[in-house]
Amino acid sequence: MGGRAGFFEVEILDWKTKKPLCFLDKVEPNATIREIRLMFHKSYPRWYPARQSIKLDPKGKSLRDEEILQHLPVGTTATLYFKDLGPQIGWTTVFLIEYTGPLFIYFLFYFRMPFVYGLDERFTSSPHPVVNLACICHSFHYIKRLIETVFVHRFSHGTMPLRNIVKNCLYYWGFAAWLAYYINHPLYTPPSYGKKQINFAVIMFLLCEAGNFSIHVALSDLRRNGSKTRKIPYPTKNPFTWLFFFVSCPNYTYEVGTWISFTIMTQCVPVGLFTLLCFIQMTIWAKDKHCTYLREFKDYPSLRMPIIPFLL
Amino acid sequence: MAVSGSGGSRADNGYGSQQPRRRKGPGALATAYLVIYNVVMTAGWLVIAVGLVRAYLAKGSYHSLYYSIEKPLKFFQTGALLEILHCAFGIVPSSVVLTAFQVMSRVFLTWAVTHSVKEVQTEDSVLLFVVAWTITEIIRYSFYTFSLLNHLPYLIKWARYTLFIVLYPMGVSGELLTIYAALPFVRQSGLYSISLPNKYNFSFDYYTFLILVMISYIPIFPQLYFHMLHQRRKVLSHTEEHKKSE
Repeated sequence: MGGRAGFFEVEILDWKTKKPLCFLDKVEPNATIREIRLMFHKSYPRWYPARQSIKLDPKGKSLRDEEILQHLPVGTTATLYFKDLGPQIGWTTVFLIEYTGPLFIYFLFYFRMPFVYGLDERFTSSPHPVVNLACICHSFHYIKRLIETVFVHRFSHGTMPLRNIVKNCLYYWGFAAWLAYYINHPLYTPPSYGKKQINFAVIMFLLCEAGNFSIHVALSDLRRNGSKTRKIPYPTKNPFTWLFFFVSCPNYTYEVGTWISFTIMTQCVPVGLFTLLCFIQMTIWAKDKHCTYLREFKDYPSLRMPIIPFLL
Repeated sequence: MAVSGSGGSRADNGYGSQQPRRRKGPGALATAYLVIYNVVMTAGWLVIAVGLVRAYLAKGSYHSLYYSIEKPLKFFQTGALLEILHCAFGIVPSSVVLTAFQVMSRVFLTWAVTHSVKEVQTEDSVLLFVVAWTITEIIRYSFYTFSLLNHLPYLIKWARYTLFIVLYPMGVSGELLTIYAALPFVRQSGLYSISLPNKYNFSFDYYTFLILVMISYIPIFPQLYFHMLHQRRKVLSHTEEHKKSE
């Protein structure tokens, strides 16, 4: 029942209803799943490749683009299952939206737009230098993130589901508004230990930002040749990367450090709460990543913890 | 919602969240502990029920009965916090988050509203939710006890999955009315509120917070109520089929 000599036939069924959706004949044996996705897209224009999950088993994992048809455990007539992942949005786009929001929202409060603190306080500025410093640091942080998104990060998955972005934006933008409100408030109280506290915080902030950037560059270099496979990251000549001796995800460690320093700088409870939530979220991500590393690499350095050296 | 309801308001399959069925379930020691826990809780809420009845008979009216059961109510409702740990340690197959949400909302109403705002303790709405909670919890805890002992009378199962139809709205009404009654006193006394300027650069308005809590009932209550109705159909019809096939 196979196709013409040498060629494969591919039938694609809906994963839930098992209804046949598409039948491709005369498929090259060395065709990749990417090519099959493109062919499927021709029959169903609204299901662009990024939202197609193609699998061998209705409840199984999605096949990667690079997989080759004849290397899969299928006969010359292959049965594949399709699941719609929903509208997708590229990671780069996601990050650009998520990070531009807080940047501009903070400015609304810093420049005291009339609707924020009332008409009497509109466009006034704070007498405290730390408020200006906080604005600079906050903006620097998000501009750095935007630059990294465009020039540094290399993503293993191209896209994420569109509905996630509403949730994520509410979180990032909402918190940015909440903490910006208090820092730029006319009744803001500067830190209790004055200049000592602020200077300490600034130094810690700069070190953590430099550290975070170094790690992002190091991780990006692991994928310099465009490969999507995972490799163990190692410390380089850059001292900031020496944290790799002790943790799997030093980028998260430095990120938490940045927010701790911002909390100390502004002495503001909402910032502290945001820092706590960031810490919890990043610990979960770090533990996940750490487990993945341990699973994939038998020779993974045993001294490393997920996010905090020796502890967590 | 604060009224856990006598339905499957936990993320269980409707057969009782503490029943060790398909999964390995809790070991013998955990089962023994859970039986004791559920028996103690059933007894506790029975004490509250009896206390209410006795106070009513003694006073001749149903006003201000809160004071006669204040202490056992606080004790046993707060004790329910243990159920979060049961889920966290896996001896009960329910979602930690869902259980935490339900228990915390009850504890919130008991301590942060009724206890903290003394002026509402004489409101009739308090009696409304206390009665709803009492009947619900007696049925729920005895349901769990019998399930753990693998001897569940149909009456208890029926009660758990039917009485909620009345008790749940009753409890929710009592809760909402109580919070509403507390509002002016919170505004007046500035309870649990902090305003600027202060060295923590933080502000919190408990009055606004309570209003937001009341608003949150609007999306949450219908969802939980219909979920329990759905569970009811599943559980009680399944039992009917079982009976027919015997």
